[in-house]
Amino acid sequence: MRQLTFREAVVEALDIAMQRDPKIFLLGEDIGYYGGLFQATQGLMQKYGEDRVMDSPISESAILGAGIGSAIVGVHPIVEIMNVDFMPVCMDQLVNQAAKMRYMFGGQMKIPLVIRTTCGAGRGGAAHHAQAIHAVFMHFPGIKIVVPATPYDVKGLLFTAIEDENPVLFIEDKMMYNVKGEVPEGYYTVPFGQAVIRQKGKDVTIVATLRMVHKALTVAEEMEKEGIAIEVVDPRTLCPLDKDTIINSFKKTGKLVIVDEGNRVGNFGSEIASIIAEEAVEYIQAPILKVTAPHVPVPYSPVLEKEFYIPNEERIKKAVYRVLEFS
Amino acid sequence: MAVEVVLPALGLTVEKGTILKWLKREGDIVTKGESLFEVETEKVTTEVESPASGILKKILIPEGIEVPILTVVAVITKQGESLPDKYDMMGIQKPQKKEEPVQIHIQEASFSMSSGPGEIKALPAARWLAKEEGVSLSLIKGSGPGRSILLKDVKSFLAKEAQRGPKILITPTARKLADKKGIPFTSIQGTGISGRVVKADVLEAEARFKLAETRPVPTSVKPSGLSKYKLGQIVPMSSIRKVIAKRMAQSKFTAPHVYFFNDVNMEKLLALREDVVTDLEEKEGIRISINDFFIKAVALSLKEYPILNSMVSGEEIRILPEINVGLAVAMENGLIVPAIPKADQLGLVEIARYRSDLVERAREARLTIEETERGTFTISSLAQFDITFFTAILNPPQSGILTVGKVEERPVVRGGQVMIQRMVRQGLSVDHRIIDGAVAAQFLQSLKKKLENPYSSFFSIC
Amino acid sequence: MKVAKELLLEMLKKMLEIRYFEEKVVDQYARGAVPGLAHLYIGEEAVAVGACMNLTDEDYITSTHRGHGHCIAKGGELKPMMAELFGKKTGYCKGKGGSMHIAAFDKGILGAMGIVGSGGPIAVGAALGIKKQNLDRVVICFFGDGASNEGATHEAMNFASLHKVPIIFVCENNLYGISVAQHRHQAIKDIAVRAAGYNMPGVIVDGMDVLAVYEEVKEAVKRAKSGKGPTLVECKTYRFRGHHEGDPNMGLRYRTKEEIADWRRRCPIETFKQKLIKQMVAKKKEIDEIEEDVKRRVEEAFVYAMESPFPDPEETLEDLFA
Repeated sequence: MRQLTFREAVVEALDIAMQRDPKIFLLGEDIGYYGGLFQATQGLMQKYGEDRVMDSPISESAILGAGIGSAIVGVHPIVEIMNVDFMPVCMDQLVNQAAKMRYMFGGQMKIPLVIRTTCGAGRGGAAHHAQAIHAVFMHFPGIKIVVPATPYDVKGLLFTAIEDENPVLFIEDKMMYNVKGEVPEGYYTVPFGQAVIRQKGKDVTIVATLRMVHKALTVAEEMEKEGIAIEVVDPRTLCPLDKDTIINSFKKTGKLVIVDEGNRVGNFGSEIASIIAEEAVEYIQAPILKVTAPHVPVPYSPVLEKEFYIPNEERIKKAVYRVLEFS
Repeated sequence: MAVEVVLPALGLTVEKGTILKWLKREGDIVTKGESLFEVETEKVTTEVESPASGILKKILIPEGIEVPILTVVAVITKQGESLPDKYDMMGIQKPQKKEEPVQIHIQEASFSMSSGPGEIKALPAARWLAKEEGVSLSLIKGSGPGRSILLKDVKSFLAKEAQRGPKILITPTARKLADKKGIPFTSIQGTGISGRVVKADVLEAEARFKLAETRPVPTSVKPSGLSKYKLGQIVPMSSIRKVIAKRMAQSKFTAPHVYFFNDVNMEKLLALREDVVTDLEEKEGIRISINDFFIKAVALSLKEYPILNSMVSGEEIRILPEINVGLAVAMENGLIVPAIPKADQLGLVEIARYRSDLVERAREARLTIEETERGTFTISSLAQFDITFFTAILNPPQSGILTVGKVEERPVVRGGQVMIQRMVRQGLSVDHRIIDGAVAAQFLQSLKKKLENPYSSFFSIC
Repeated sequence: MKVAKELLLEMLKKMLEIRYFEEKVVDQYARGAVPGLAHLYIGEEAVAVGACMNLTDEDYITSTHRGHGHCIAKGGELKPMMAELFGKKTGYCKGKGGSMHIAAFDKGILGAMGIVGSGGPIAVGAALGIKKQNLDRVVICFFGDGASNEGATHEAMNFASLHKVPIIFVCENNLYGISVAQHRHQAIKDIAVRAAGYNMPGVIVDGMDVLAVYEEVKEAVKRAKSGKGPTLVECKTYRFRGHHEGDPNMGLRYRTKEEIADWRRRCPIETFKQKLIKQMVAKKKEIDEIEEDVKRRVEEAFVYAMESPFPDPEETLEDLFA
């Protein structure tokens, strides 16, 4: 099968979707002529015109509001917030309006809106262009959250997001745009709420998100040589969350490490640990560990960012060794 | 139609208010929207308008009184209308109780752990398995970090247990012999290396059993015992007597015995028995005896202090899984101790039935070996011989034995007064290798309390 | 008068509906039947009615926390509105929204919002959606002087003007953002001047005169539908009661009795009634009949709401996702 990069998979998905559904339009900063800051909408404006690929003023609230309002009245907007770091600027529109309008109006309207954004550190983006705050949005009922980790998944999940008639926050890890993977041609969907076991193992369960999935797999491969069999679970969507797969995997191993690039407190891993403590407590054989970014903003200097801030294979290994002390 | 004037809801957090001033008086004409009274709340003073036009017929809440919001404070009627009866009293009327917000069931934890003792660190999976298997975590050594008990520690403990018991360490010869003779060797105290059961032990167990088998005793209650010997006679020891002699010596000289006594006021218990004995006999066909109460009380106390329900095996203390209380029955040639199984779980009537049956068959030499071997603790009574108290030797491999003397009227002092009360002295001997004085004393004290407070002790068992 | 009689009487009826509805809410809120907060439109009726008279069921509006007036003016029915305020199952939002979140999608009411200023971007989005589908519709975004200072409002206006979406921004300047008078919360006196900053027309109109509002918004609707983009219509108006029920003494903590009395004399309903009679458009009897009918229907709505059941507790978990 042919290989596409993560980025190419995104562009292809948007292209195919826009062809199939004339009601889809894109709105975001620099997505038109520039093709998107990360080139994820490359060529689309040239193909579909300014009317369907709209460059936006730098107005996140207006962008979100435009998405919400137009979705309610019958079109299918895919808006982009360039970095998830900018989401707080339009937080009200996302968490108070988009997330709640269906519920608080008693189900009268649907909001088929996709909000694409990017996350991830590693290029010196520093405090305002490198965060991974996806866990924050889990707290607000009414938003679906997608965290794809492979080119195959990003294309299929994006199609599912577009078909979904609810607000979907679609998070693309900017550090993965160049990652290659097998991507089928044409249209296919990957379901929400279905985690995938990237690698099977019986000794330790690692639940990882976005780019961290690949780090976990690297660690699993290395540690296999030492005779340690790690099971790597990729949830793919944070909401809806496939609890069953995670819990069942955990029951096999009794030992859990969660790897997520968010900061420590209120990390995605915190929620998983809580779920395990509530629904599988009798299977816990060792402390549940989270490998996360430390609880500080993203530092600028590469030494700080790459060697300390971003969770790396070393730290994941250490966590695995630690839980294995209890076996 | 009369219109109620209420103390209005004044925003999200205000709960009550005080009417500072009525701006209109009873009988005044009022128009809708006109200010009627001033109210003071925690936050502010505000004027409240009339909700309707008419006559301010009655003021129900005067100035200066604090009332909850929504209280009806006045009534407005139309010109010529009379006041409805229900307002005809001055009073603080409680507002309609709002419906309680409905509790929505939140998903609860699917499993709740009882908390283990403070010092023991164990991982949840280990705790769970131990609990399921009925194993106390205090018996398991933790190999995890910080000496925490891991799942594998519990598993290996259980595996070892499965190997050891109910099968005990036993030499092949002894095993063969036991099988041949049809003797279950589960509670035999082994005298071999590491507590192994050896051939001699098996023979001994057999002898104990044969004791009951060979000499059926007449059904009279009082065995005549020593009457057959004459002065100057030299009696060679029968094999059975040899076994008994050896066992008694072994028990006494292996297990350091220590003795405790207390006196029990039997008034309440005897009264209770009086009360129920006839009815129960009619209904259940069995006559409850004081011994039955003792058996039950002992069983319940053993539950509280399981160390007294144990045996020494090599270098381990095995707390026995069941509480089988044995009753020493005197026979012509010695003592036999049939045990009532799981006495802690039986009701009084059931205990009585067991007791009656076992004692009868003991005297007729019709006990099974299992019935004599399963005991975990013994009660011995010499009441019938007017013995007030005595010390007993532990019945190996048990670690405790209770002696019961005669119940008799004694003068005792209660509340500064001398009274005649029926009292009994009971004694406890324990194996001091594994049972310390404090524990034994507590056990005996607990037992006494149960016997002295029979209603609360036995309330659930009849 | 250039406007047809039926339309004028309809305007009167609508204003009366709002007035009587709100008065009922005053009474019922005081009696504890309306949980939460109630922000009433009494005094501002001419703005909502004048503006919405230019719209059909297919046009859209976004509303504010002070939304009962907008919703009734746009065609929201009294019974499900009252039921919603009482938190009943038969309310527009099945009891899930309440006073601040009334919506009636079938009447184009995209919802009252509890966040000040949040309606702007959504209204602009709706207008964008209309434009993309080439529909002959418009959106009116109602917002107040308080909201005019919110960032989201500016973003919305800029975006709307840039893309010439069919929207009318109707600003209800009632001179107070809760308790802070206009001159203490913004440097300008006429919010309409800000329109120039977005390259769109800004007009000022007497918000107590329903016909004036009607005429001005009519122009703005024409403009929007012809693809010329948004207009900012600033209505100078006043709320007779406090910011919310429970704001003591009609807002006397921050307003004077005289000021309130002055504005009350200019009551939009009374002045309109006088006008109709004076200009011999309608007789007093006709007007009284309309008023009686409104009173009766409001009373019916009240009874309906009282008798409607509450939602089942399990409904708490419904309607999150489609």
